[in-house]
Amino acid sequence: MVGIDRRLLQNVDWPLVGATVGLVILSASTLATLQVGRAGGGVALRQLAWFGVGLVALLVVASVDYRRLVRAAPLFYLAGLAALVAVSMFGRTVSGARRWLLVGPVSVQPSELFKICFVLMAVWLVTSHWAQPVGKTALVLAAPLAVVPAALIVKQPDLGTAVLLFPVLLALLVAAGLQLRLLGGLVLAGLAATPLAWFILLRDYQRERILVFLDPLRDPLGSAYNVIQAKIAIGSGQLLGKGVAGATQSRLAFLPERHTDFIFAVFAETWGFVGCLVLLACYALLLARGFDIAASTREPVGRLVALGVTCLVASQVLVNVGMVTGLLPVVGIPLPLMSYGGSSMVVSMMALGLLLSVRMRQFQ
Amino acid sequence: MSGGRLGYVGHQMSGRPDPGRRRILVMAGLVSAALLVIVCQLWYLQVLEGGRFQEASDKNRTRIRPIAAPRGILFDRHGLPLVDNRPAFTLSLIPRELERDPAARDATLGRLASLLHIPFAELQEAVARIPPDSILPVRVRRGLSMDDVARVEEWKLELPGVIVEVEPQRAYPTSRFAAHLLGYVREANDEQLKQGRYRRGDMVGQSGLERLLDEFLRGKDGGERIEVDAMGRQIRLIQSTEPHPGAEVVTTVDRRIQEAAERAMEGLAGSVVVMDPRNGDVLAMVSTPAFEIDRFTGTIERNAWLRVIQDPDHPLLNRTIQSQYAPGSVFKIVVAAAGLQEGTLAPTDRTHCTGEFQLGRWTFKDWKEGGHGSVDLLDAMRHSCNVFFYEKGLKIGGAVIAKYAAAFGFGTPTRIDLPGEKLGLIPKPKLRRDRRVGGGWHAGETVNMSIGQGAILVTPMQVARFMSAVANGGVLWKPRLVQRIVRPDKGVVWSDGGTVTGHVELSPMVWAFLRQSLWVAVNDGGTGAAARIPGIDIAGKTGTAQMIAKSRADKGQDHAWFASFAPVREPEVVVVVLVERGGKGGQVAAPIARKIFNAIFLEKVASIELGG
Repeated sequence: MVGIDRRLLQNVDWPLVGATVGLVILSASTLATLQVGRAGGGVALRQLAWFGVGLVALLVVASVDYRRLVRAAPLFYLAGLAALVAVSMFGRTVSGARRWLLVGPVSVQPSELFKICFVLMAVWLVTSHWAQPVGKTALVLAAPLAVVPAALIVKQPDLGTAVLLFPVLLALLVAAGLQLRLLGGLVLAGLAATPLAWFILLRDYQRERILVFLDPLRDPLGSAYNVIQAKIAIGSGQLLGKGVAGATQSRLAFLPERHTDFIFAVFAETWGFVGCLVLLACYALLLARGFDIAASTREPVGRLVALGVTCLVASQVLVNVGMVTGLLPVVGIPLPLMSYGGSSMVVSMMALGLLLSVRMRQFQ
Repeated sequence: MSGGRLGYVGHQMSGRPDPGRRRILVMAGLVSAALLVIVCQLWYLQVLEGGRFQEASDKNRTRIRPIAAPRGILFDRHGLPLVDNRPAFTLSLIPRELERDPAARDATLGRLASLLHIPFAELQEAVARIPPDSILPVRVRRGLSMDDVARVEEWKLELPGVIVEVEPQRAYPTSRFAAHLLGYVREANDEQLKQGRYRRGDMVGQSGLERLLDEFLRGKDGGERIEVDAMGRQIRLIQSTEPHPGAEVVTTVDRRIQEAAERAMEGLAGSVVVMDPRNGDVLAMVSTPAFEIDRFTGTIERNAWLRVIQDPDHPLLNRTIQSQYAPGSVFKIVVAAAGLQEGTLAPTDRTHCTGEFQLGRWTFKDWKEGGHGSVDLLDAMRHSCNVFFYEKGLKIGGAVIAKYAAAFGFGTPTRIDLPGEKLGLIPKPKLRRDRRVGGGWHAGETVNMSIGQGAILVTPMQVARFMSAVANGGVLWKPRLVQRIVRPDKGVVWSDGGTVTGHVELSPMVWAFLRQSLWVAVNDGGTGAAARIPGIDIAGKTGTAQMIAKSRADKGQDHAWFASFAPVREPEVVVVVLVERGGKGGQVAAPIARKIFNAIFLEKVASIELGG
């Protein structure tokens, strides 16, 4: 491999790689049982093909020194913003949402790719000399960094992805030394701003989803249908699951979006509580490695990059599983590595590439 | 980068405190806690409440209730429906709700079989070919009577998985109305299912316009996703998609003329084509005997089906385009046209008809014993004198006659929009010097051809196109059946302005003579006198196509032709009648044409007067 010396290869985080491969295998085998779209296992094969593309992306990202990537972050960020603007102008509309850009034969979801640009940009800003020491000034500088793209993404509409940007930014600020006093103030301000977001940014159906989450009986015919069916699917999996043939909820298409956002429910129905523990253990291992890399890296840029991508993956996993199990409102976030989707897969792999990159260069 | 606050950002020296690390570990702890909450929720859902959800999953009896889109309606040229839809009851099974246990399931099917008098094996067969966990109802039998429906509803609790659906079904004005033109609609057969365009139980046009325009007529089915309780009663509607009805088709047919023509042909085998010579519109198209189109729609008993297929009168055959006959004396018009145009025949040419024509050692007879005496061309057309045409045909030449026949469209398809059209046949004579006895073209064949007998074959539709050309001065129209197709939401999606497929170039004198001679044949003591209606100038030619007698029973059973148009000055309508084994054209076919002309011209006048 070009540009990687042998010392770097010795430091590959194998448990992280193992957890990733395990999750992709679970994803493909779950997708293979669903008859979605074209003939039979079509989605599973395409997911594996995307994994291959992601692997290349991972190697490319890992082979470059992450410090060079962070130095170039403003460029990536601006390019990402431009892509988001492009989507809002000539994006492809699928079932009412304008989220995709056609690039040759594939449709790309720029809001997914933007997440990586955002992490790099946030690290660049937090570690820049203007933000030192990390306090009010840093906050004022960082806020528009998330608010502008979030507004663009909410308009697509893709509430989930937009919301994700904030915990990641917050985690980076906190790790970079934001005073806890300011953090408290920020939380209060966020609560105060909620009504504003409620009336200005959210669309009717998004508001409805949140209301339904708070009170499922509000609309058992419409919006709550997904939640109720997902709960039935998960619950009826019981301890050991129904197996592939018995998973009627999933196979008979009671579940909407079962190969994308609700894939966890399919998995839970098929393999039960025990299967879910295995799946969550894979994520736990992956996240634990991420936090460990961040904690054990003393070089600040590397630490923050590792922390940023770990938080990104962690919040996606928590929000997705939380929403499918009925703990959170339905916002439409894919489950990293599990949900079917090319953009999501490639972005997850790039995030892991960054983690591996930081790990490999930890002891230089 | 400058040194950060409390050493958060900036290179760390080993040994110095690392507060950032502590904060990261706290975050990791928070994520772990969140994961733990999720595990607790899963424990609650799957282990503590799992049984309850399992039950909910079992009871999750969502049904998909298809709503069949009403098939598009075919209208006649004045907007009268040729076919309509009425609600009909269909017996369906929902595979997933049938008893799992084979014995219990057979008990259900047995009960159903005895209730409705359906063969038990038929039900078993239906169940065997469907996937057992489908929630889509599978149609088993259409056209249930009200009694059947009442019985099924009464025994509903004993018949899990059995439902009665209401679907639109074809309804026809009369049992055999325009059967060949419209065609019948039946469930997609195995072959059609293999093409992948249809689902089992879909109604598909199988013949006629229903088949040709199936894509337009079928529309798009809608459906409802409903939740039902254990008794199959609807609890609530989850989702519903409206069906899109099929397109409306405006045909060229005139329902009144079609009905009149069908009435006129009652009890006879044969066909009628009524065409507008100005644009090729098919105003009526009758083929008898017809099949009972309404019995073909829906479920037909095997025996009834076999009876239709094995019927020696071939009711499924569309005789207007699929049967070929010798044109008989109708063909004399072509011979006259050829001779006049080529100059080998003059209106003043005379022949003395003795009732026989001698060619070498063969004798060709006239239809009239004793002959017609001295006749010119007009007389020969009027009385349909064979001897005159034997003699003149030989003079004109077989190749020339064949050339004109081809120009008038014989031997080539009319390109009507119906499948299975026959081409007819014009024998191809070689040049005269190739003539040999016992091989090649024989002069006797030219003689036979001159009166439309021998190897020559035509379809009634070809004759109608030919007569239209005679009426309109040489334009060959493609017979038009469909004027336009209108989708309820999109407006006109297809229209046909008429297509000219050829021209016959004859001098105006020749056209005038042909029309005059045809008028004379009807109105001035000719063979077509039986078609005469005072006040309407009908022009026409009779024909009697000899059957090659295969047995004694066939002997003398000739096909009767009458090809005509009216009014002679500005022709509006062509009527071609063929009666199989009818006898003489003038005695059998001409009176039928008269009835049809009567309906077209006189009854219309009467109705307008009544309306005024």
